[in-house]
Amino acid sequence: MNFILEGLQRALHLIFTFDREVWVIVLLSLKVSMTAIVFASALAIPVGFWLAIQEFWGKHFIIAVINTLLALPTVVVGLLIYSLISRRGPLGILGLLFTPWAMIIGQFVLAVPIIIALTYSAVQGIDKRVRNTALTLGANNYQTALTMIKEARYAVFAAVVTGFGRVIAEVGAAMILGGNIKGSTRIMTTAIALETSKGEFGFALALGLILLLVAFGVNILLHYFQSKKVYIE
Amino acid sequence: MLDKIIEIKDMQKSYHRKMILDIDYLNFREGGIYSLVGPNGSGKTTLLNILNLLLKPDRGKIFYFNQEVNWALPDKLLELRRQMTLVEQIPYLFNTTVWNNLAFGLRIRKVSPQVRQERINRVLNLVGLSDFQHRKVNQLSGGEIKRVAIARALVLEPKILFLDEPTASIDQRYIDITEKIIKRINQQLKTTVLITTHDLSQAYRLSQEVISLVGGKIVREVPENIFRGEIIEDYKGKWLEIDKKVKFALVTEKEGFAHIYIDPRDIILSLKPFQSSARNTFFGKIVKITEQNHLVKLEVDIGVLMVTVITRESFQDMQLNLGSKIYLTFKASAVKLY
Repeated sequence: MNFILEGLQRALHLIFTFDREVWVIVLLSLKVSMTAIVFASALAIPVGFWLAIQEFWGKHFIIAVINTLLALPTVVVGLLIYSLISRRGPLGILGLLFTPWAMIIGQFVLAVPIIIALTYSAVQGIDKRVRNTALTLGANNYQTALTMIKEARYAVFAAVVTGFGRVIAEVGAAMILGGNIKGSTRIMTTAIALETSKGEFGFALALGLILLLVAFGVNILLHYFQSKKVYIE
Repeated sequence: MLDKIIEIKDMQKSYHRKMILDIDYLNFREGGIYSLVGPNGSGKTTLLNILNLLLKPDRGKIFYFNQEVNWALPDKLLELRRQMTLVEQIPYLFNTTVWNNLAFGLRIRKVSPQVRQERINRVLNLVGLSDFQHRKVNQLSGGEIKRVAIARALVLEPKILFLDEPTASIDQRYIDITEKIIKRINQQLKTTVLITTHDLSQAYRLSQEVISLVGGKIVREVPENIFRGEIIEDYKGKWLEIDKKVKFALVTEKEGFAHIYIDPRDIILSLKPFQSSARNTFFGKIVKITEQNHLVKLEVDIGVLMVTVITRESFQDMQLNLGSKIYLTFKASAVKLY
C-alpha cells in the first residue's frame, strides 16, 4: 500500500517540478498524435462526407467494413505496418521504422476509420434541407459541400476529437513501430508500460495522470461539441 | 406583351412510377406575380423544385429567357440558378446568426462588404427584423424564421422569386406585411414572383394569374367567384357568411370556415327580381365589363365582387352598361365547396 502513496507523491513531484524527461515524453506524444490526426482528418472528413451524400452500389458493404475497422486491434495495425516499413518490407528503403513517423503512420491508420465513420453519421444527421437551401441561394457544388460540412461542424469536430482520444491512448502500434527509444520515440503510453515493468512506479504514474488529464480534456471538448449540436425546425 | 421569362413544354416527372407532374405548356412573363394553387400532393412543390433547377424532370423542356435549359452544363445551370431563388415552405436557416444567413448568397455572388451591409440592413428593415442582425437563429420563433428566410431571398434581388406557402404559419399582421413586400419588390425591382398558397383569396389578391394544379396537371379554368367564409346554420338552412352583409345559401355537411366557388355561368341576371326556387338573389351594380369572344364577362358589386358570364345577345337585349343595377340569382346547389 505504501508504495502506491510513495509513487503518487513522486508522480506529483515530477509533474509540478516540470521534470524535463516527463515533459519531453508528453510533448512527443502530443506531437505524434496531433500530426496523425491532422493527416487522418484531411483524408477521412472528405471521404466520410462523400460516402454520406453519394449513392452507389456496394456502399453498405464499405460502411460495414469501416465499422469493423473501428475495432481494429492496435497491435495488428502495428504488425501490418511493421511488415511494410521494416528493412525487409516493400517500404523498408525509406528507413521509417523506429522513428516518430512510423508511429504517426500507425496512429493515422487507426484514426482514419473512426473519423470516416463519425463524419459519415454527422453528415447524415444534418437537416435534409441544408443542401437545397445552399443551392437555392446560388452555391456551386463545392460551396454546397462546404456548407453541409459547416452545418455538421460540431459533430465533425467531435469525430476528430474522438479520433485523437483513441490514438493518444493507444500503446500497441506505438510500441511495435516506434520501439520506445528514449528521447526519440518514447511516448506516454509506451513509457508507462516500460517504467512500470522497471519498477519506476512514480514516473509511470506521473505520465498516467497526465494522460488521464488529456483524456479528460478531450471529453470536455466532446461534450462541448455535442451540446452545440442544435437542431432548428 | 412582356417577355416570357420561363416557359415549360411537355414536362413530366414521376416518382416510383407515379406521375407527379404532367404539364403540356406553361409560361410566366417577366414582372408578373403568379399564384399556384391546388390541394396537397398536387405537385406544387415538385414544380417549384424543377423550376429552381434542383430537380430534373423526366422529360420535357424548360426555357429561361427564351433559352432552353441544358441539364448537362452545370456552369450554365449555376448561372441561371443565381438569378432566382426559392423560399421553402418550412425554410432552413444555417446554424449561425441572422446576418450570416443573409450574407450567404451575397458572399457567393462576390458582392462587396459595403453593399452587402447596406442591402442586409434594408431587407431586415423591410421584414421588420432590424434588431435581429446578430441574433442566433436558434433563438427565433417559427414566424421569425420564415421572415428571415424571405429576407435572405430578397437580399439577393433575384429576377425570379419562388415562394412556397410564404404566409403559412405566420401571424396575420405579418401576412399583410408579407403581401405588401411581395407587391413592392415586384413593382420596384420588376421581380417575377411565383407563390404557392392554400389561401385562394390571397392568390387573387396578389397575382395577375392563378394557376391551378390538380393531380400534377394544370387545370385551365381556374374557378372565379371564390369566397372564404364561415358556414352557419339557422332555421332556414345553411349559409356561408362572407361578411356581415353578404351570405350565400348552400348545401353542405361541412362546418366552420370554407372556400366556395360559384361558376359564373350558373348565375342568372335579371333587371327585376323574379319568383323561383333559387335561394340566392342579390341586387348589385355592374362595375366592369369585358368581352370574351361571343361572351361578355360582367363584374357585379353586391357587397362583394361577383363575376357572371352571359352571351353577347343577352347583354345587348338587356341593354346593360357600366353602373347598371341588376339582380343576380343562383341556386344553393351552385355554391360549391372548393
